[in-house]
Amino acid sequence: MATDTTILRVAEVMIDELKLEDVTPDTFSPDIDLVDEVGIDSMDLATVALVIQDEYGIRIDEDDYTKLTTVRRIADYIETKKMAA
Amino acid sequence: MSSDGAALNKAIIEMRIHKRTPDAGGARNPTGPAEAPPEKTWKFSEILAHPDIRERWERVRKYFFLRESTYDMTRRCNIRCDGCYYYEGEKQFAEDNRNPDDWRRLMAGEKARGITFVVLAGAEPSLVPELCEVCYGEIPLGAVATNGLKRLPDAVGYRIHVSVWGNDATSERVRNAKNMLDRQIDNYRGDDRAVFIYTFTRHNIDEAGGVVKRLADAGCRVSFNMFSAPVGYGGDLRHTDASLARTRETMVDLLARYPETVLFSHYSAAAHTHGRGLHDLYGCSYPRMNPSTDVGLGRSFRQYRSDLTWDRDAACCVPDTDCPDCRHYAAGSAVVTARLFRHAVDPDTFAAWLDYVDTYLAVWVKGYEKGANLRDWFVAPPGAPGVETPG
Repeated sequence: MATDTTILRVAEVMIDELKLEDVTPDTFSPDIDLVDEVGIDSMDLATVALVIQDEYGIRIDEDDYTKLTTVRRIADYIETKKMAA
Repeated sequence: MSSDGAALNKAIIEMRIHKRTPDAGGARNPTGPAEAPPEKTWKFSEILAHPDIRERWERVRKYFFLRESTYDMTRRCNIRCDGCYYYEGEKQFAEDNRNPDDWRRLMAGEKARGITFVVLAGAEPSLVPELCEVCYGEIPLGAVATNGLKRLPDAVGYRIHVSVWGNDATSERVRNAKNMLDRQIDNYRGDDRAVFIYTFTRHNIDEAGGVVKRLADAGCRVSFNMFSAPVGYGGDLRHTDASLARTRETMVDLLARYPETVLFSHYSAAAHTHGRGLHDLYGCSYPRMNPSTDVGLGRSFRQYRSDLTWDRDAACCVPDTDCPDCRHYAAGSAVVTARLFRHAVDPDTFAAWLDYVDTYLAVWVKGYEKGANLRDWFVAPPGAPGVETPG
């Protein structure tokens, strides 16, 4: 399970990179579907994945990032990768 | 242009990973990536630290909202071309729906499900201009694929792709239409909607120079396509290793000679003339070859027939193409572009991808002006052998 710190940071990356308006890291629901409910597409997810890789020093598999469609899933993925490292 | 066919063939057969010499890299790219050790793992932020890359990245990413689907507008055409994709498979037998209200409802539904870019195609959209206008009224971003013999009215404000398959003699033989280029130019000279699309077959490579010169003299713009065999195609237009190499050489030669006319890049040439087809190189994203319904084209793309039905199993940008032979410009525009993540491995590869995306946007989106290419040499597709600069 991801920590609140990771969840907040992922939300912050989403907001900054995708220039999302009317939302803050604190109000960004970690379980909202980024594709169906926020309107994010595969290029956006790829961009976020690249920034997350940089920040956490992990390697995201190309086949994985399109499945990371909530902030919580991204945060969980980060934690799993960090533990495996 | 080099005529050393033996050297070209050798380069293709060997398919060595392209490595630039220090001189070439240093002279072309003073910011440093050419000198970096090949095993370095680049952070995305380090790649974007190059100002030219950052500027181009910020420019193209504004268009990431584009989500396409394609629409056959009518089963009718005013010519018959050898190797035509439309008259293959089941779609040619769909009845025409010419009811503007039905088309308007379709487009409204497409917009509601997130489609922001439409491609109006098969068989010949200019024969139903009133339906094209209806589409434009609902979704104002898109492109029309036409043979250019009948001018689309100004009210259809899409990008217009005018297909060219060689010089007039070849067009008459393959497409059964006389004076085709003159008629196409007469219809679209000075029209900022138009981009001519020259399709290279095995046999018209040497004609491209003359055609591009005529287009340049007329102030028209041109980009390049590759003949890709329809399923079951038995004709002789299919490319060989040698014709791929000669096409690649011709593409970059014309790009250098007519930079104001030719919308293309070295990476576009490398991707579309590689010995391996687009699906093998990049993994096609269209539903026909991509069973995934995760976010992306596998989820959102539809290819509507002229009766407004669609079939997920057949849906791709040029249905009934023989997928292993596919090097279509339309396919690459989505398939290569979608591989952002894969190309963000080093500055050269990412810059080459940006050149590709910049080209794609200039070719497909009216009003987008192409920038100068960032890499004027061949960069290898990620994970694949590269191509050599010929000669």
